[in-house]
Amino acid sequence: MWASIRALSPALSFLGILALFGGTAAAEQFSADIVTTNAGDRMAGAAGKLYVRDSLVRFETPDFRNGRFLVNVSADTAFFVMPAQDIYMDAKESSSLTQILVPVDPDDPCQAWQTMAKIAGAAGHGSKWHCRRLGTDNIDGRQVIEYQATSPAGSAITATIDPLLKFPIRFQYQDGTKVELVDIREQPQPAALFQMPAGSRKFDPQQLIERIKRSDVWVEPPK
Amino acid sequence: MQSKAARWGKWLLTTAICTSMLNSVGFVQAAGFDGSPPNKDAAAAFATESPIKHVIILIDENRGLDHTFGVYKPKGRGQTISNILSKGIVNEDGSPGRNYGLAAQYAVSPQPTYYVGAPDSAKTPYSLANLMPQPNTNGAPQNPYSSIVNAAGTNYNTGPFTTIPPEPDIQPKYAALLTTGATGLPADSLDTRIPRAGALPNGPFVLKGPNISDDDYTGDMTHRFYQAWQQQDCSIADATKDNPTGCLLDLFPFVMATYSPPNFATLTGNFSEGNEMGFYDAEQEQASLLKELADRFTLSDNYHQAFLGGTGANHFMFGTGDAGFWSDGNGNPVTPPSNIANPNPKAGTINAYIADNNFSACSDPTQPGVAPIVDYLASLPYHPASNCAAGHYYMLDNTNPGYLPNGSLVPAVQGALPPSPVKTIGDALDAKKISWAYFGGSYNDAVILANEAVAANPSNPSLTMAALNDPAHALGVTYCQICNPFQYAASIMGVPSERTAHIQDTSDLIADIQNDTLPAVSIGKPDGLLDGHPQSSKLDLFEAYVENVLATLEKNPRLKATTAVFITWDEAGGYWDSGFVQIFDYFGDGTRLPLLVLSPYSAGGKIDHAYADHVSLLKFIERNWHLPPLTNRSRDNLPNPKATRRNPYVPTNMPALTDLFEAFNFDSRPDLRPYLQ
Repeated sequence: MWASIRALSPALSFLGILALFGGTAAAEQFSADIVTTNAGDRMAGAAGKLYVRDSLVRFETPDFRNGRFLVNVSADTAFFVMPAQDIYMDAKESSSLTQILVPVDPDDPCQAWQTMAKIAGAAGHGSKWHCRRLGTDNIDGRQVIEYQATSPAGSAITATIDPLLKFPIRFQYQDGTKVELVDIREQPQPAALFQMPAGSRKFDPQQLIERIKRSDVWVEPPK
Repeated sequence: MQSKAARWGKWLLTTAICTSMLNSVGFVQAAGFDGSPPNKDAAAAFATESPIKHVIILIDENRGLDHTFGVYKPKGRGQTISNILSKGIVNEDGSPGRNYGLAAQYAVSPQPTYYVGAPDSAKTPYSLANLMPQPNTNGAPQNPYSSIVNAAGTNYNTGPFTTIPPEPDIQPKYAALLTTGATGLPADSLDTRIPRAGALPNGPFVLKGPNISDDDYTGDMTHRFYQAWQQQDCSIADATKDNPTGCLLDLFPFVMATYSPPNFATLTGNFSEGNEMGFYDAEQEQASLLKELADRFTLSDNYHQAFLGGTGANHFMFGTGDAGFWSDGNGNPVTPPSNIANPNPKAGTINAYIADNNFSACSDPTQPGVAPIVDYLASLPYHPASNCAAGHYYMLDNTNPGYLPNGSLVPAVQGALPPSPVKTIGDALDAKKISWAYFGGSYNDAVILANEAVAANPSNPSLTMAALNDPAHALGVTYCQICNPFQYAASIMGVPSERTAHIQDTSDLIADIQNDTLPAVSIGKPDGLLDGHPQSSKLDLFEAYVENVLATLEKNPRLKATTAVFITWDEAGGYWDSGFVQIFDYFGDGTRLPLLVLSPYSAGGKIDHAYADHVSLLKFIERNWHLPPLTNRSRDNLPNPKATRRNPYVPTNMPALTDLFEAFNFDSRPDLRPYLQ
């Protein structure tokens, strides 16, 4: 998968330098597979799919077979979409990937992650993402930047940012779970991939909770 | 005459389902004689008393027999039913019948202490001058997208959903049912959709008219232990040959209107009032799927809720044949830190309870509310024991289990019942290595929410907070924890391997039916959107859940041929019923519920009159899979009832409880008719 990227490396390196100094968080257009492995480096389920078009991100993972996530960094939105039900909902913290798999400034990924944490409601009480640059590395001939980062909830990850893509291509949790983008294909992505299906309506979990409070499922705490 | 086995064998060898049927008489083979794929059905290998190798028990919420099948005429040849139509209480169109007065309800003047049999001298029938409490919208959803703010500033915001929740347990064609049925009326107000509401006479009324049907949400009622005892109005002084327990069933609206009287100024108290007397008209297109199943299979007209009151205790009784009690978490009974009931009336009130709480030490007659019930038990000619052990505070009303859906212990601050030592049918099946599972709607999402809730706040985890933070799994809040009797059990929920093996999701039930991996015993419980509960769900949503399961089973005829599907309700939810009630102990029985029995051996529209309650389902399982009663105090020790032809409803050997084998005809040729036309 990296062969095609290596062939383009001189031009990409130049663009990468521009990106490194440019500091904007609008990624290139590409698609990739999302592979999650556990601490034993065993693949945890089937691969997911990622599509990126500038500030738009779409991904699908085996944990959410009935839908897909649509993130629009420019619009400060992250939705989970269930096309079969014609509904969508705020993604909030449904998947931690919506907070990490977004275009980033390679020199300051925490800025974008903090924005996404706020959108997800995961940055309460002024808590913030913290990033510490560890250095650069070379993965399959590709220059990348390594970070140690801590989420507002205190979860630590090591993240690998591709400055050309302006996108995290690998990160690992403390428990050893690793999420990696593989088979990256840099090519234009159709705008339709990132659009909300026509006729979709928004689902409100608060409304669901209020309904359930009218049922026997709900048990009031003892007086 | 040929033996039963020989007759089965003759027929079986000529049919495509011969493999599974041979299993039923002890043969197991790897592949069908007819070239059909090998039978993966491991449960078929268990030795059984009948050809039934699988039971699926589907449990709805809060509908009584007369409420659902009060206006129903049996389709089986020569079959009769006891309901408000057959008794002449109502006519086929739901209007008052010639014997409408048999259902009259009464008000009671103030009494000094709690009572379960009101003195006749204190009772006054409702009349046009003193109207029976009228039906109320209570908390039923007002309008789509509405945000109802009542006078007290409470934001009800109850939908129904104009955005369909991500509900996977019904077929997509029925999803729109989640968006229909709003009342169009204010909360806690007279339900004027019901014809003549505001001037309804003293008795049952049909939930049918230009503005109301079985697709409409209706107001809920309180359905709690001490209230239900009072509503049944049982006294030996009123006993007759046909009603030897003397339960008159005539205080249903009164108790609702008085135990916590509604205060419209402050919007406090109970607003369910007169909803108890509502019923559907199955003969005129209401509850149409359930009616069709009754037309084609067996319906019991003498099946009861096993516990007076609500959801948790009835499911617990279904799972254990017993009542739960407060313990130290290691099986030793201790006094709960709070939540002890006192149903005695507050001074100066008609019947307002001092403490409408959940636990009583019913072995101690000096405890509030206990003496009237144990005195009544002692007065019955068959002298049933209270079955209240010394020092035990029994769980009478809904209390969450001591485990979260993911198996985490619930912190004491949340008041959940500590891990229970009471033996369950799951333990008994495990002991004989017979497969079983409880399939709870939205359970998988609930596990995810529980994991997130514990991670976020281990000392006080909140599934609702987790749902707000994780909308994609928000449906987990609709999983019913108190409906799962095994979620209380330390032996199951406290053992990760047991929990993962036996506590599963509705999607797993569907997959097991499709994959020939259905356990011998399966219990299916819809989530809170589909459970048919008034106010939060509707009858047609439960029908959609049932149809999803049956349609899947229909596609696996080999499995269907050896499967019995029982469809019932946990309790009547406060709805009035006209049927005889047998009293077993301090805890029940309560009013009648529908029970449908679907199998190749229960086709034809039979009405089963043998006395039954939830524990009858335990008795069926135990007889079919050769298990002993769960404990020496569980209700499954009771004998099968004997009854006269003149009155098949009242056992002559009380206390007695059927094992439901009479609902089948195992001597008959299997009838593999489709569940639905």
